Amino acid sequence: MTETNIIEMTGVQKRFGKFMAVNDLTLNLREGEFFSLLGPSGCGKTTALRMIAGFQEPTKGQISIDGQDMQGIAANQRPTNMVFQSYAIFPHLNVGNNVAYGLRNRGISKSEIDQRVADALEMVELDGLQSRGATELSGGQRQRVALARALIMRPKVLLLDEPLSALDKKLREQMQFEMRRLQRSLGITFVMVTHDQYEAMTMSDRIGVMFEGKLVQVDEPATLYAKPSNQDVASFIGEMNFLPAQVTDEKDGSLVISTPCFDGMKIEKNPNATTSGANILVGIRPEQLEIAVEKPDGYDATFQGIVSDVAFYGENVHYHVRVDGVEKPIAASVPNYFHTVDFRQGDTVWIGVHSASVIALRQDEK
Amino acid sequence: MKRFLGLRTYTLVYLAFLYLPVLLLPLFSFNDGTIVAFPIKGWTLKWYGQLGAQDTLVQALMNSLVVGGLAALLATSMGLFAARSYVRYRFRGKKVSEALVMLPLVVPGIIVASSMLVLFISLGLKPSLTAVILGHTFLALPFSVSIMKSAFDDFDVSLEEAAYDLGSGVFETFRRVTLPMVAPGIVASLLVSFTVSFDEFVLAFFLSGNEPTLPVYIWSQIRFPAKLPNTLALGSLLLLASVLLLVVAEFFRRRSTKSLV
Repeated sequence: MTETNIIEMTGVQKRFGKFMAVNDLTLNLREGEFFSLLGPSGCGKTTALRMIAGFQEPTKGQISIDGQDMQGIAANQRPTNMVFQSYAIFPHLNVGNNVAYGLRNRGISKSEIDQRVADALEMVELDGLQSRGATELSGGQRQRVALARALIMRPKVLLLDEPLSALDKKLREQMQFEMRRLQRSLGITFVMVTHDQYEAMTMSDRIGVMFEGKLVQVDEPATLYAKPSNQDVASFIGEMNFLPAQVTDEKDGSLVISTPCFDGMKIEKNPNATTSGANILVGIRPEQLEIAVEKPDGYDATFQGIVSDVAFYGENVHYHVRVDGVEKPIAASVPNYFHTVDFRQGDTVWIGVHSASVIALRQDEK
Repeated sequence: MKRFLGLRTYTLVYLAFLYLPVLLLPLFSFNDGTIVAFPIKGWTLKWYGQLGAQDTLVQALMNSLVVGGLAALLATSMGLFAARSYVRYRFRGKKVSEALVMLPLVVPGIIVASSMLVLFISLGLKPSLTAVILGHTFLALPFSVSIMKSAFDDFDVSLEEAAYDLGSGVFETFRRVTLPMVAPGIVASLLVSFTVSFDEFVLAFFLSGNEPTLPVYIWSQIRFPAKLPNTLALGSLLLLASVLLLVVAEFFRRRSTKSLV
């Protein structure tokens, strides 16, 4: 992957009346990467995508694609193509004509169009379905047609607006892999908007997390998961236990903290979060906690609690453990292999935690 | 079910009251006699046979076809754009404008007719078929707008965006996506607007001058008892044509909403 930027957004703002949909968005997208804009609905991610596509003009700021400023350049002139959430398959055209739509009336010979349509359909594994009516397609097929119709234009950037949200779970997982494979083999930059954290994590090279019009963090999925920059990101991506913590000592790279569950633990600073002051917030992922009958060995901290809830997820078992002095029960998730221990509601258990699992987060003002 | 017997009788009586008089018209048009009264003297098709030979009638029919056709085209083309903007956009004065478009449905015909007559004459437009066409366009517009609105209602905006995204300009998008998508609605609107114009009497009576449309011609013939059976036959044909046109229009209107899922 090269480090050339294909899209550069600088201080982009979009205001609808008094509502600030996108606020001061600065973001560079690299050529050939799969980038996801992730966030809850109404966070401005779709507006950001539509500004790249040219369906909406920024109120402020600049967007350039492939080194060219996009101000005043309409959607039909931009080197981008879009896969719409509803797929927007033209119902009056068959599959072949849908895919060929953007090539017609552009002075391209019929034989070349036919060839490119055939290639595009083969790419999305719909070979030979040219004459199938648009209304006779299944959800997955519609998505493939929408992909083929956009990719046949050989865009520099493919924009995808919640491309998988209309599909059922099984099909969605299958398409995640296929789209990833397609993106790698074509080397085209994909920009996807999604509210589904797993979708974003499985498919993307990098993810940008947005809340209330602001881009909060941009990172690779693993970094985003391990070192979220604040509580919003941490709880949106995966599950997280939050504990208030007091900083008792601070050395160059580390903090010594006390929480209601354990005292005097030395943890690393989080490079993505500013944790100044005596009161901070720390997060611990449920799957990084050990839960045991006897006090477990080899952990940096152990503490006791009472199981308040058990949920069986198949591959995991989730426990909620009440600990004195902690407002919400601590969530711990245990993989289900061998299924050695079976805790029940009301059991007293030990919890073990490594200091590496404790993530320092900024103390939120709320 | 017994509880509803009263309501059911009421419905039947109501429907009979509404439609039986209409059915009398075709019935007496087959009567072999000039007096419109029971008992029927015998059955004949001669009243129908004589229609084609009456030059003034044929001329009136031609007038009606021209007026209906042009009024339908005008009303539908205006309705198409009006409906698209009503469904797609929010703008200042939208509600008022929509209400104004629908107004001809409730304003008494005689008021519209006399004010149009005054307006047209003051503008220098003498009573003529042109005046009738303009009047009928005005009357047909609410029908056209509501049919086209239902055609645009289920039309996913992202279809037009997709066309635009794939390189089409505004006009190409309209021609290659919007127009084919709403085509069934356009056909339905043309047929309904035509029927509205074809059956309209009051405006045509005021504005047609010495070029009568078919309903105006029928009215003028009612004064002559000897010609009454002819008029009945003509009226029956008019009735049949209207019903057929509306049925076909409804077929297209339904198709336009169904195909857009």
